[in-house]
Amino acid sequence: MSDFDAIVIGSGAGGAPIAYRLAKAGKSVLVLEKGPLFRPQYQTQDGLSDFKRDEIYSTGAEKRLQIPEVANNNAAYYSSHVEPDINDEPHIYRERDGRDFATIEGYTAQVVGGGTQLYGAVHLRFTPLDLKLQSFNAGRNDLREDPNGDIQRESRDWPITYEDLEPYYCQVEELVGLNGTAENQLKPFSQNFLQIPLSPNPISEFARQGMAQLGQNYSNQGQPIQPYRTPLAVITQDHAPSGRKVPQNPETIKTSYVNRYGDPLGLKSSTWVSLLSPIETLPNFQIWTNCVVTHLDCDGNRIHRIYFKDPAGREKTLEVKPGAVVIVACSAIESVRLLKLSAQENPEFDRRINQNDLLGKYFLTHCFGGAETIVVGNPPQYPPRQFDKSISLDSDWAIDYASSEAFIRDNGLWAGAAIYNNTSDQALPIALGRTHGSQDLDTIWKTFDSGFWGSITGQNNPRALHGQGMVDFFNENFGTRLSVSFMANQVPLKTNRIELHPSVKDKWNRPVAYIIKEWHSHDVYLMNVIAKQCEEILRLGGANPDPNQIEEGGIYLAENALARIANHILGGARFGNDRADSVLDIHCRAWDFDNLYVTDGSFMPTAGGANPTHTIEANAFRIADHLLERL
Amino acid sequence: MQTRIISTDHQYVLNHCTKYLARSNPDFRHNYNNQFSVGDARGQICEVWRFPIIDSYVDRDAQELTTNFNRVTFVYFSLNFDLPKFVGVVGTFEKLYRPIPLNEITFLGESTGYYAVSLAIPKGEVHTYKFIVDGQVILDPINPQQKILDNGQTWSQFFTHFSTEILSLQTWEVKLLERIADHILPFRTEEGQRFLDFYYNSLDRQSKDNQLLYVYRFDQSIGVVNFIDKLLSKEERHHLVDYKICLDIIDKLLRQRNSFLEPRLMSKEMYSELYDQLWSGNVPGWDYGRYNSPQYFLQLLRRHAFTGAFSHPKYGGNAGGAGWAYLAERYPFNWRQAIEVPLGTNPDYRG
Repeated sequence: MSDFDAIVIGSGAGGAPIAYRLAKAGKSVLVLEKGPLFRPQYQTQDGLSDFKRDEIYSTGAEKRLQIPEVANNNAAYYSSHVEPDINDEPHIYRERDGRDFATIEGYTAQVVGGGTQLYGAVHLRFTPLDLKLQSFNAGRNDLREDPNGDIQRESRDWPITYEDLEPYYCQVEELVGLNGTAENQLKPFSQNFLQIPLSPNPISEFARQGMAQLGQNYSNQGQPIQPYRTPLAVITQDHAPSGRKVPQNPETIKTSYVNRYGDPLGLKSSTWVSLLSPIETLPNFQIWTNCVVTHLDCDGNRIHRIYFKDPAGREKTLEVKPGAVVIVACSAIESVRLLKLSAQENPEFDRRINQNDLLGKYFLTHCFGGAETIVVGNPPQYPPRQFDKSISLDSDWAIDYASSEAFIRDNGLWAGAAIYNNTSDQALPIALGRTHGSQDLDTIWKTFDSGFWGSITGQNNPRALHGQGMVDFFNENFGTRLSVSFMANQVPLKTNRIELHPSVKDKWNRPVAYIIKEWHSHDVYLMNVIAKQCEEILRLGGANPDPNQIEEGGIYLAENALARIANHILGGARFGNDRADSVLDIHCRAWDFDNLYVTDGSFMPTAGGANPTHTIEANAFRIADHLLERL
Repeated sequence: MQTRIISTDHQYVLNHCTKYLARSNPDFRHNYNNQFSVGDARGQICEVWRFPIIDSYVDRDAQELTTNFNRVTFVYFSLNFDLPKFVGVVGTFEKLYRPIPLNEITFLGESTGYYAVSLAIPKGEVHTYKFIVDGQVILDPINPQQKILDNGQTWSQFFTHFSTEILSLQTWEVKLLERIADHILPFRTEEGQRFLDFYYNSLDRQSKDNQLLYVYRFDQSIGVVNFIDKLLSKEERHHLVDYKICLDIIDKLLRQRNSFLEPRLMSKEMYSELYDQLWSGNVPGWDYGRYNSPQYFLQLLRRHAFTGAFSHPKYGGNAGGAGWAYLAERYPFNWRQAIEVPLGTNPDYRG
């Protein structure tokens, strides 16, 4: 029998805030994490980190899929040293034509800190409207591209409001360590803990100017909506709650080894450096790493035993003491899978977790996309202007006008979107080559392989691929490209779902997750509308006056639009006030269990118009308060 | 010579082993291109090339003395949990092949079946080794790199960062590959050549010592062929066969085209023509029965050459950071600011 008051499965955004809060309050806490513990330099004896500024680390050597059941068997893939290996632990997506493809979502990381180690660290709050889309859309007759009325039927208000969540957003901003500006955001801030942002990269100025012009058309409390510095989970000043210090010259914090890299200096605010390492030495806290939980077992309504594999792969069990709670936070797909696998092992568990048919349903990602261009010369017939994009963080400017009610209504949309520029993408040479023309991690190196020139002009010019052609490629693309992205809600559909695959097994011989997902016609419409806004930002900002030279679109256009581009995985175990309509109650507790909580992004009934990590962490702090009342 | 043994951190070993070695599914999912023979357990294990684990190393008390070393961690894993009493490693890094014991790695006080030891071994070296398990001398069952010694014996092999000894390619293959790779990268354009000459010649003695310690040879495109040789020995071993076949075909067809010159001495025009033909997929004289897509080989080579030119110099290419410096000369690109000393100038990041 273990003595832990709380056992948290997963150390990322959904788990770590709970472990932090409970351990600080003196509760005995165990975190079980599948991945390794990679420390930043300042925590190691020799001053070296397992994270490196090394392009081979972020997207490594070629491997090949060897899963005969899938259509992309034998395809090349490249993964970071902390991503799951796709041959070992694939997620299978069903394409429109019914064929299955193995992949893994971007930013899935098996490491202490989870996705917060790899992400670009854009850390936006959701808007108040994002949490009440059902009531906002009720009775509207101006919604476009929704012939069956799905939006009004399927959207849900969250059982909590923005006001309920707001104090927890503040806690995240204070404890995790973010920089950015609160002013000009369409989200009320009761307190401002954001650290001062570093100076923006000069290339971002085009985005800022374009945003400012478009923001003129919409107002917030009588004032035109203005751009703000994108909140990023990177500290720019010494951070007292976690004890982290910034380098003497803060400008050196800006390196493009941010997005898709763990940070060897620990300045990126992963849940390890910000929340877990500060409690590491408490006697009532333990973290067991390299341990994968295989299933949970229940006795009546209580989880009483956890089955896991130790670092050598041997099966172990952990008895959960009476009164203790179990928190599942393995990221949406893996949490749903763990619950489904547990249901297969025990009919009692099955009956309780499947008290309705909603587990795995309403799986969500984001409608996202944007626009990208080469920043033209001045005058335009001159060569493109070039910037040192390697001196930057992931994003400099963001704007909220596309989240305003006026914009949403003007365009017949059901929900809004955050818009921000990406500064650091393709800043390094190998990143430029391997992501050139690719929309996601499944198409890495493909455009490069099929020829630079052909990808740009549509012509097949073999001579352009070597020598002088390579020089031309760099002249045109290195430090010249600017992109603006949007992140928006996807219409929830019951048919978008996570199941267990009937035949493909993981490295432990357990069925892998099977994802069936489609875009709604309104999603496609929304992505087109907002991608056009991103194009306008680049055009009006002066990055490129010719819209024909700006590539723009939504992610649904991608070659494998249903699969790996799903960087933000949400839903599948939504929370609510009605047990017939949700998997979890308002406290993210599974309805028919006493001590089973699910706190990663799977709780979300709608996906929000922004990157989700901030909200997952804030909600986890909220759940921690509830748990402290019962423990 | 006494090899420095670095204290073994159990968490470190588990961090670098569990993902790759712990499993129960017996499928051969990691045997792409049939790189292992049928039944070889390596085909069931993920990224076997990671073993032994080669990592950066600094001894904070002797920093100056240790920056030219790697931490090399040997791992033995008893797959059937049948725990041996003694596991040691013998190798060319230690005089007289004195066995160095591997330590039992524990988790929560229990044996895991992993045994490991970390040694400080100089950068730029290649070594052979074997394990001794309860008196039996065995090859490393995980690491696929092996070398057949002059006496006919097979040993396990590894190399440290910045290694320049050619391991997988033959000398003639290296020469031929240099010529083909030259035509992909920008360094053989006139301007590129001027830059390289200037970059290497303008470095003062101190920088040469610091930065070019491991430069392979200045007369090749900044070490990309060395990078490819290392990649084919380790991470992308499964592609060695592509190079072996295609270089042989190319050598033969170039000799058919000009029987008077060695292929490596043939004109730039000859290679240019070959390059265009490879790209078009239509190469007169190509043996399609042996390798059906010359275009695929070119794609592979281009990805490898590009990666070698611009990845960290420790992988054997981008000698002295010349690939990055080439970009920095032409474009705003302050690569040194992010990179560790002595290659870069970042005061905090240690590599």
